[in-house]
Amino acid sequence: MSDNNRTGVLLALPATAYVGLLVAAPLGVLVLYSFWTQTYIDIDRSFTWENYRTAFSDPLVRHLLIRSIWMAGLVTFVTVALAYPIAYFVAFRTRNKTFWLLLITIPFWISYLLRVFAWRVILGFNGLINSTLMSAGLIDEPLDFLLYNEFAVIMTLAHAWAPFAILPIYVSLQRIDRSLLEAASDLGAGRVECFLRVTLPLTIPGIIASSLIIFIPTVGDYVTPALVGGSDGKMVANLIQVYFGAANNWPLGATLSLMSMAAVGMVAVAFVVLLRSAGKAIR
Amino acid sequence: MTGRSMIELIGIEKRYHSFQALADLNLTLQEGEFFSLLGPSGCGKTTALRIIAGFLEPTAGIVRIAGQDMQGVPANRRPTNMVFQSYAIFPHLNVGDNVGFGLSRSGLSRRQRKARIEEALAMVALEGFEDRHADALSGGQRQRVALARALVMQPKVLLLDEPLSALDKKLRESMQFELRRLQQSVGINFVMVTHDQYEAMTMSDRIGVMFDGRLAQVDTPTQLYAFPANRKVAAFIGGMNFLPAQLVGEPAGRLEVMVAGLGGLDIARNQGVARHDRELVVGLRPEQLHISRDEPAGFDARAQGTVTDAAFYGETVHYHVEIAGVPEPVVVSVPNHFHTVDFKRGDRVWIAAQGASVIDLGARTDN
Repeated sequence: MSDNNRTGVLLALPATAYVGLLVAAPLGVLVLYSFWTQTYIDIDRSFTWENYRTAFSDPLVRHLLIRSIWMAGLVTFVTVALAYPIAYFVAFRTRNKTFWLLLITIPFWISYLLRVFAWRVILGFNGLINSTLMSAGLIDEPLDFLLYNEFAVIMTLAHAWAPFAILPIYVSLQRIDRSLLEAASDLGAGRVECFLRVTLPLTIPGIIASSLIIFIPTVGDYVTPALVGGSDGKMVANLIQVYFGAANNWPLGATLSLMSMAAVGMVAVAFVVLLRSAGKAIR
Repeated sequence: MTGRSMIELIGIEKRYHSFQALADLNLTLQEGEFFSLLGPSGCGKTTALRIIAGFLEPTAGIVRIAGQDMQGVPANRRPTNMVFQSYAIFPHLNVGDNVGFGLSRSGLSRRQRKARIEEALAMVALEGFEDRHADALSGGQRQRVALARALVMQPKVLLLDEPLSALDKKLRESMQFELRRLQQSVGINFVMVTHDQYEAMTMSDRIGVMFDGRLAQVDTPTQLYAFPANRKVAAFIGGMNFLPAQLVGEPAGRLEVMVAGLGGLDIARNQGVARHDRELVVGLRPEQLHISRDEPAGFDARAQGTVTDAAFYGETVHYHVEIAGVPEPVVVSVPNHFHTVDFKRGDRVWIAAQGASVIDLGARTDN
């Protein structure tokens, strides 16, 4: 091995060790567990497909998995749809962009958990929205559809993920050569057409990036559904948590984790392919 | 040129806070004219072009295109199309879709559009490039696509913002002729912005020279070269020696002048200069001066001097000659005939000029 090679290996070592210890090894353990069986407090280490059979045949698992993906899709859609105009505004309509970007990251100065609790205060039965509407005389009794359902989960996560969605879209908007927009307008396109035929297609990479950044962790999120989701806001991660915790069935929990990973992976790939071809279709 | 005016700029002014980008710009372009706005960077020429295109609103003044007032008419509804300095080729579209971008609102059928795209690509010698992706184009090809994309719209006026500046020298020179030929074959107005005097001179019917947001002179290339309106224009276009001179007499249409170092000369009166005075400045083009070791015969004026510098440019050789009574060394450029540099530093030489080649630049106080 030449000196150069040795330096290369040495330089790659910390990263390799990090990834190996904190990503590959736990994942390997997860895969192993998914083929074992929980016998009360012991683990039966003989190979079995039983966990997968159980998981696939359990309607609850299927239901939660589909709902998780559906919810994550909704959250992604809502977040990106709300983030795009903000990113557009900052990229095209403001002078002091640093200031605006700083404002956008302000929610991140508070812990994630506190933000979720804040939404409970806002959306709750005696929360900000209800008490304001009541004192304004617009409603007679508190609205009960605000908290402990899918809506609350989507609102909370859309807010929590906002900067993650705004920044990649902002970057892709910022990268657009302004003369392209002038060229489109010079060739007769109005504002809407400029946007649909030039701006939007050129920001598809940004949209893909922010969608994936939001979609993937949302499928596996369990804090928000647990705190504001109520019973019909529960997602697959809550079930996994139960298997690793109260139900004390790590092998089944591991199987569920791997299944949802696979599902997320497939949906994400399908999403990227779909959006790419959509981008090609807009002309 | 048919004599109808296609573009009229009347009293155009553009201010950014306290900065005056354009001041009192008045210009009328005839139908079918190839016009260039020439000037150093920051002189306001691009601002003027963008005002014509509709990307900028003038602070004051009127823009008329084909007789119609363009006030409040946005860029997308003006009968102009632009070739951008960066070419602004849509990176997500192929060549055919780039060229056809503006045709989607034309009410043409798919087949008619295809024919128009083909026709436009043929005009710029890019037949069969429709499916080529924007990334797979060279600089020259990108420029042709930008041209085709604008010409396919059949505009009344084509605006070109430094169209050749991004190309290498060889390509630039061949594109100059091609652009000129294209303009003559389509017969529409071309308005080009450039900082390159050669580009402006080889291509344009008329040139507007701009400095500091003002139009200094509008003229044909030959007139501009022969009769620049002042020292600034003269210095910007071609090489020029500036010599102080005294006005001795003013016969009809002529000036009798006493030029420093060269002596008495009878020169043409430049009608374009602002003012004449006893103290004048005259200009001498380096290539119109004669240089020799022996005293030359047959010239209207001559002077002896010392070579202070010799520079070999390939097609020409430049000599700097110091002459008693002339403040700065006079530059003489000689065509390279025999691959020799005939004089070297310290040589005593004669320079000589004809009165017809000496340019009256007006009063010294204006220059």
